[in-house]
Amino acid sequence: MADAFIYDALRTPRGKGKDSGALYVVRPIDLLTGVLQALQARTGFAPADVEDTVIGCVTQTGEQGTCIARMAALQAWGGMEGPGVTLNRFCGSGLEAVNHAAAMVGAGFHDLVVAGGVESMSRVPMGSDGGSMFDPEFQWKVGSVPQGISADLIATLRGYTRDQVDAFAVESQRRAGVALARGAFAKSLVPVKDRNGLIVLAADELPRPDTTLQSLSQLQAAFQMLGTQFQMDALVRKAYPEVDRVRHVHHAGNSSGIVDGAAAVLVGSKAAGEKLGLRPRARIRSVALSVSEPIIMLYGPMPASRRALAKAGMQASDIDLYEVNEAFACVPMAFMDDLGVPHDKVNVNGGAIAFGHPLGATGAVILNTLLDELEARDLSTGLATLCIGGGMGIATILERV
Amino acid sequence: MSDHTFRNDAFQGAFDPTDGIAVLTFAMDKVNRINESSLRGLLAALDWTKGLPGLKGLVLTSGHKDFCVGADLEMVQSERDPARMLEAVQVFHALHRRMETGVPVVAALSGSALGGGYELALACHHRVAVDDARVQFGLPEVMLGLLPGGGGTQRLPRMLGLQNALELLTQGTLLRPDKAKAKGLVDALVPTAADLLPAAKAWIAANPKVKQPWDKGGFVWPGGVQPGTADARNLFLAASAMAYNKTAGAYPAVEAILSAGQEGSLLKLERALEVEGRFFASLVVGDTSKAMTRTLFFFKNAADKQEGLPRVDDSGFRKVSILGAGMMGAGLAFVCARAGMSVVLKDLHADAVEKGLAHVRAEVAGLKHLDDAGRKAILDRVEGTIDVARTAGSDLVIEAVVENLKVKHAVTKETEPGLAPNAVWASNTSAIPITDLAAASADPDRFIGLHFFSPVEKMPLLEIICGKGTSQETLARSLAFGRALKKTCVVVNDGYGFYTSRTFSAYIVEGAQLVAEGHDPRLVEWAARTAGMVVPPLQVFDEVTLQLGKHAITQGAEYRGKELLDFPGVKLVFAMAEAGRLGKAHGAGFYDYEQGKRKGLWAGLSGLVSAKPAETGLEVVRQRLMLAQVAEVGRCLDEGILRDPKDAEVGAIFGIGFAPNTGGPLSYADTYGLANLVRDLDALAANHGDRYRPAEAFRKLAADGKSFFSS
Repeated sequence: MADAFIYDALRTPRGKGKDSGALYVVRPIDLLTGVLQALQARTGFAPADVEDTVIGCVTQTGEQGTCIARMAALQAWGGMEGPGVTLNRFCGSGLEAVNHAAAMVGAGFHDLVVAGGVESMSRVPMGSDGGSMFDPEFQWKVGSVPQGISADLIATLRGYTRDQVDAFAVESQRRAGVALARGAFAKSLVPVKDRNGLIVLAADELPRPDTTLQSLSQLQAAFQMLGTQFQMDALVRKAYPEVDRVRHVHHAGNSSGIVDGAAAVLVGSKAAGEKLGLRPRARIRSVALSVSEPIIMLYGPMPASRRALAKAGMQASDIDLYEVNEAFACVPMAFMDDLGVPHDKVNVNGGAIAFGHPLGATGAVILNTLLDELEARDLSTGLATLCIGGGMGIATILERV
Repeated sequence: MSDHTFRNDAFQGAFDPTDGIAVLTFAMDKVNRINESSLRGLLAALDWTKGLPGLKGLVLTSGHKDFCVGADLEMVQSERDPARMLEAVQVFHALHRRMETGVPVVAALSGSALGGGYELALACHHRVAVDDARVQFGLPEVMLGLLPGGGGTQRLPRMLGLQNALELLTQGTLLRPDKAKAKGLVDALVPTAADLLPAAKAWIAANPKVKQPWDKGGFVWPGGVQPGTADARNLFLAASAMAYNKTAGAYPAVEAILSAGQEGSLLKLERALEVEGRFFASLVVGDTSKAMTRTLFFFKNAADKQEGLPRVDDSGFRKVSILGAGMMGAGLAFVCARAGMSVVLKDLHADAVEKGLAHVRAEVAGLKHLDDAGRKAILDRVEGTIDVARTAGSDLVIEAVVENLKVKHAVTKETEPGLAPNAVWASNTSAIPITDLAAASADPDRFIGLHFFSPVEKMPLLEIICGKGTSQETLARSLAFGRALKKTCVVVNDGYGFYTSRTFSAYIVEGAQLVAEGHDPRLVEWAARTAGMVVPPLQVFDEVTLQLGKHAITQGAEYRGKELLDFPGVKLVFAMAEAGRLGKAHGAGFYDYEQGKRKGLWAGLSGLVSAKPAETGLEVVRQRLMLAQVAEVGRCLDEGILRDPKDAEVGAIFGIGFAPNTGGPLSYADTYGLANLVRDLDALAANHGDRYRPAEAFRKLAADGKSFFSS
């Protein structure tokens, strides 16, 4: 297999994913168009040379329907340039897009692919695409619970206390604050502009670096009511018969924020980079998917990362930095516990608890953050991983070249 | 001063503690305008109402004839910074939101509410208006290349439904009270202004707690189409298609209105207003709105006021004789009679007279706002005749006979002796120099050109041509006559084709020329439409008829040089005329016709053309069509036909359907850039002939780095 390189990566700042958020006035297609144009402007590729535009987007309905990848490529580059495919691997979509691009380049089918993701959670609410995941029929055959209950189940099984998950969240916010203060993201953030060129949002809108254990303690556990009053905790017994009570510890402050955002990554072969006169920023060493039991759902990062490490012939300790998506505080906590990775290698600039998780874009966003930080610290290897709805996991290992 | 009254430079407030209602009267110095001062004034007035004990509601009304007919366009026109514009409209939006989220507010509309003025009424909970046919409501911003930036694109669809609102918004439709009530632009009508306040107060008493429908949970859009549904998608797809078929992409405001309407419909109102504001800012700072506002508002108003022109209050024209009872003559008879003049419609042939009178009767019958007596009074003022003696004692003659110098001389000699002592002779010729026509007159100082456009009942322009001998008094009286007919006048100097006919001729001859050079006629027609030309050149050639065209070209060659006849385009027109394809009226021209209805372009056209252009395409053809006209306008400046660049704009748009989106041919030159224009005209002249040669007026501006108009 040939090498697949990352030549550049960019993203929008993330805006609060509600009707008061800055990016609520921006159509998702325009969020994506903006980063596609910025990526083209920064790397100078000819749109005609782009063999595919692979975009992760989870809620593909409403304004995110009709293959947003192709629609945005048309807006961005005009004419007929840029085929596009929109894919959905839930929260892993953005990373799936990069992995898919890398696979096509590695296989020698494509030389240059734009990957990325987009999600406007304020305009196309999570779950508004319907689906059968919560149908009774699926419930009887397979079983499914809301993700927050899965997260609380993890905390219950592992004995994570409310204070522990809150402490993780406070640290995520603190790290985000430090990173913001030193301008850690300046290199990759593309301000979102309106049709007049006026800036709509230039910096991430969500972080609250002054978050404390005390301030988080005021928040009600978000899934308590669903779990107890609506009795959804009972559903976990299909797979965990011994769990007679779920301890509800997750809430808005220690879970990933709902945000709007987009990201784009230029993936190509050696030859494509030479043609463009670009130096590759990283090589994609390995990628992996995994499955876990679907009711606990969020356990995917561990097997996915182990598999990616094995494919690369590496140990967990060989990785210099990790990005483990902070869907819920318990996810990176469990990851660190299981892989024996120290916290000072994981999410060093904070994560989705501080910045938010624009579903279809996040994988591409954290890969970008990982690459930036490897460069900033002059380190070599990094691993990005996300837990995925339905009990999947995805991981990608990067190596700077 | 009691706390129960309030006053600033825009609003007066009066609070009645007995009913708890405060009346806010919008009363700026002369007319009410939406600008910084009125917004500040409204803010202060709302602040004042906050302190009123037991306040139950507000009535918003006007101290002037009109409620408010829009924003201060001087303010908007000078703005080129989108950030400042966005900030300004957001202040406006916040004020509106404040009004509609407090106590009940009723707009009591004694006069017209247009544009920003109507948007103020839209942010009230209820609109009650006087049922007076002189009053209008609506959002005409699109006519100036803008969109309603004070919430109009968002509140109107939420009030009327998507389809109804978008039709009004994209066409800039204004409605009289009865229609406005039927469409839902106003909620209630009262017979007189005195009934307004009681009606407004009664509504507040009956609706002590109100919310705008869009602020209520579970808001269902009127009109049946809910945003984000398949119905909405289909509606917008059809609306975009219909708009494009009308505008050919030449009107960014129409596109912005549909986009803002669609996108905003998916969002909550506060943020939908922000989306509208961003679209508005982009239109305000763009060249199209600047050019349209400058010409269609400022220049048009100046022309209507006849600024800088000699003035008498009364033309003194009581009895008017119209010579020639064709389409133009009959139309003139009608408009003069309607304006109160006695009219003699004279022709050589009795059947022509009868046809002309029939036309007058049909037009009069269409005056629905008059009663039978009113209509009869107009008809009674018109007399048809074949007897020249009936014209005796006329104060004005408008000659509308065939375009032939000798014939025109003959009728002047025949008719002039019987006229009133101080009578004015006007020729409606579209091209023949007035000075030449005046040679047959005993009084060239009272001889003038009044070039009306057909159909005269509808076309707003009157091109007034001063011959060498025309006196200032004759011009002043003619201008007063133009005012009486409610025409927009431009005054030009004499020369074959004057201003409008020359420019129009440059357009349609270039259309034919492009076809003769082998450019696809379908491309020629579409290119004109994408430039914003009201009617494409071959279609309009058919409408004026190739027969008339041939006559005009032949006559024009006498005045402007025989080389015109060597043009391949002119030869093509002559060949078509030869083949009997004489235009729409004859059932065959560049287009095929069935029962007078235009079908496709004539397939046989290609058989008359063997040439192949070196280069073709939309851009090439559009540039040729537009620059051929612009070059001709430049020569009209150089030759002193045009007295003022403003007249070029008003005359071309209102007279001959020059692309309104451009602001006129010289605005087009400005937007093109004079240096670019001179460069491209020189290149076109080198390749395609001297008609493209750039005027000295262009060269001078280009050299000075200037433009005709400032934005």
